[in-house]
Amino acid sequence: MAVTVREPARQRVDRLERIWAEPRGVFGWLTTTDHKRIGLLYFFTALAFFGAGGIEALLMRAQLSEPNEKLLSPETYDQLMTMHGVTMIFLFVIPMTTGAFGNYLVPLMIGARDMAFPRMNALSYWLFLASGLFMYYSVFTHAAPNAGWFDYVPLALNQFSPGRNIDFYALGLIFNGIASTATAINLIATTFKLRAPGMSMNRMPLFCFAILAVSLSLIFALPSLTADLVFLELQRNLGFHFFDVANGGDPLLWQHLFWLFGHPEVYIIILPAMGIATSIIPTYSKRKMIAFPLVALAELLVAFIGFGVWAHHMFATGLPTITLVFFAAASMMVVIPSAIQIFAWTVTVALGRPEFRTPLLFIGGFILLFVIGGLSGIMFAAIPFDQATTDTYFVVAHFHFIIFGAAVFPILGGFYYWFPKITGRLYHEGLGKLSFWLTFLGTALTFFPMHILGLIGMPRRVYTYPSSLGWGPYNLSETVGAFILTAGLLVIFGNLVWSRFRGPPAGPDPWHGGTLEWATTSPPPPYNFPVIPVVTSAYPNWDRDDRRADAGRLERGELVLDEGHETPASTVVDAVPDEVVEMPGESPWPLAVALCTALLFVMLLTRHYAVAGIFAAMTLLAVAAWHSQEPQEQ
Amino acid sequence: MSALPHSGDATTPPAVTRIEHTRLARPNGWWGMAIFVATEATLFGTLIGTYYYLRFNNAHWPPPDVPEPKLTLPLVLTGILVATSLPMQLAVSAAGRGRLVTARVALLVAVVVQAGYLGMQLHLFVHDVHEFPPSRSSYSSIYFTMLGGHHLHVGIGVLLNVWLLLRTATGLTTYRMNALRATAFYWHFVNILALCVVGTQLSPRA
Repeated sequence: MAVTVREPARQRVDRLERIWAEPRGVFGWLTTTDHKRIGLLYFFTALAFFGAGGIEALLMRAQLSEPNEKLLSPETYDQLMTMHGVTMIFLFVIPMTTGAFGNYLVPLMIGARDMAFPRMNALSYWLFLASGLFMYYSVFTHAAPNAGWFDYVPLALNQFSPGRNIDFYALGLIFNGIASTATAINLIATTFKLRAPGMSMNRMPLFCFAILAVSLSLIFALPSLTADLVFLELQRNLGFHFFDVANGGDPLLWQHLFWLFGHPEVYIIILPAMGIATSIIPTYSKRKMIAFPLVALAELLVAFIGFGVWAHHMFATGLPTITLVFFAAASMMVVIPSAIQIFAWTVTVALGRPEFRTPLLFIGGFILLFVIGGLSGIMFAAIPFDQATTDTYFVVAHFHFIIFGAAVFPILGGFYYWFPKITGRLYHEGLGKLSFWLTFLGTALTFFPMHILGLIGMPRRVYTYPSSLGWGPYNLSETVGAFILTAGLLVIFGNLVWSRFRGPPAGPDPWHGGTLEWATTSPPPPYNFPVIPVVTSAYPNWDRDDRRADAGRLERGELVLDEGHETPASTVVDAVPDEVVEMPGESPWPLAVALCTALLFVMLLTRHYAVAGIFAAMTLLAVAAWHSQEPQEQ
Repeated sequence: MSALPHSGDATTPPAVTRIEHTRLARPNGWWGMAIFVATEATLFGTLIGTYYYLRFNNAHWPPPDVPEPKLTLPLVLTGILVATSLPMQLAVSAAGRGRLVTARVALLVAVVVQAGYLGMQLHLFVHDVHEFPPSRSSYSSIYFTMLGGHHLHVGIGVLLNVWLLLRTATGLTTYRMNALRATAFYWHFVNILALCVVGTQLSPRA
């Protein structure tokens, strides 16, 4: 901002710089509690896993490019297919949206200086990294999970899967779930308690509402996956009986618990995309989102309804008709909050003065792909149609339109949109537009023919197919599409890497965005804001008078909080400032706890239960050491 | 607004009391625990749901070779555990008024009873495992998984209380006060959970 900083203000800012400075170099990154640095760690790690999941997809597409192809053995194909699903969902989309976007942006958007629990935030990251490495270690032992990401029993029981493959899956996901739960708790507490003075619930940015909805979904969905995985491990390794009929168990119990998690999971993946759309659309349309409260409620409703639809993944398992009808009706209800949002996005663009820069193009692509994937989704709510197309490529087409087209396009648009904020530089617009069209065409060409293949009978989860069925040309076009899509993604990353070093300076607010992250410098300083902003609307950065008042408060030293590592905490609904809380700074203990936990899981995998007990005790000791340093003692 | 209380500066009982009195909303740490409890409650909801799912899939529950769950001892033990919610809440209100000694005595009473409960329950657990091991049927599998899960939560609660006793030995800060409130909340949850778990496990007797 072009405010001349007079001497006292300059001194205050210098003091903030000193208080919030973290150690330099690798050690600084290992002990950091800065939500922005943790967000970047999440970003690069999730991106690496995206690369791994993408390579797995390309290998499968190469194998399927023509009939009777011999590139991959069926065993390898099964492992690639499972790892592709697990990676994209648990190691790419969730950490990218909650870990990278949520971590980096939520405190900035609500005018806070960090997350509510900074050390637990670091712990989440290290646990996530360790769980990802744990699962990927299986690839090097040639024992990667191979029963699909849904891991249905009885296939996943040890009679049929005797190796360590499924144990890598089950323990890895329990491990990963701890990390996701910690992140979700942190994000909920942050949005509830750390909003800037005046940012009452109805003024919280829609992106934060989406992240809040995702976090609530994680909190209530992950336990059923965890319980399911614990049952599976107890049955596989200690002889318990949950899933075998001979001893009073039931294989459908696995599916019920899995999808009771798995369907909310779909909305966990898509909701951040909706949140990103509600950030990008108002900025480039130069107007506020229409129906703001309805959109906020719709985001929460999507998450809520997601808990009542799980059995629509089980229409072909022989459940009673009355159950099927209930879940079909519930599934159709999801259309309502989704349609509210689609209309709100499109009408906001239509009523504004849209400027079709790259991020908005990605949102346009997102809306189109979401509508197509949504329409094929409604078709599955018709029970006979679902029973006819279940286990065919039609299903694969549907969910890739949703979880690649709809969930990942806004993530890619978000990379471009917030790139200037994070790096302080502008990306190349021409290359950006080219990358959009490549990605969009690649996506359509990869996933659209799958609808046709499904309708003419190609089953899912097959590693090859005979030449006599006429599936070859469609499969070939999908493989070509997958490589065009990859080219588009490479242009995106090439553009961003080049712009990181050569892009023109962006300034604090290149797009004239409405939310608070644009009110500070690019990249933001470690303390985010020199003075805690006071908010009077949902688009505070468009309230020029308020931001001038902030600058005045910096001069007077009000709400600068330059006496310590501090941020204000507020009341939950009205955001009345309540107290100034001391935030913990950098700590080596989160990394130590994650390391002990990782060794605990390795010992469980290798069935050294006594040693596992030792590492569990060490984990507790590390947690105790962590908490014996209180924030005000630092 | 510059008069906002700085909770980090409160490192003596009277200062902590002042923060407790001026605060409008519950502290961050309480919210963190409340959300954690929400996810744990869902986990136990899943376990109880699984119990009934398996029960409705079996003609005999418990199976013929398994004794019916005992009634008296589990109910008495649960009653004793649930009663520790009182000293836990007493510790919170005493610490909030600056009476650190009362708070520590209440915590000590609570943790002794809780540890005694856990020791007794573990003894019963081992005895039952020998009588009808979890590998025998789906009944004993979910029985021991649910019970073991609850004992684990009691164990963690005992460790939290021991930790609080050690920390409050050197005085009271807002950080410790928040930890005490969060831990008391956790114990109320574990105690309600004990009622749900014992109710579920005794349901075949009804």
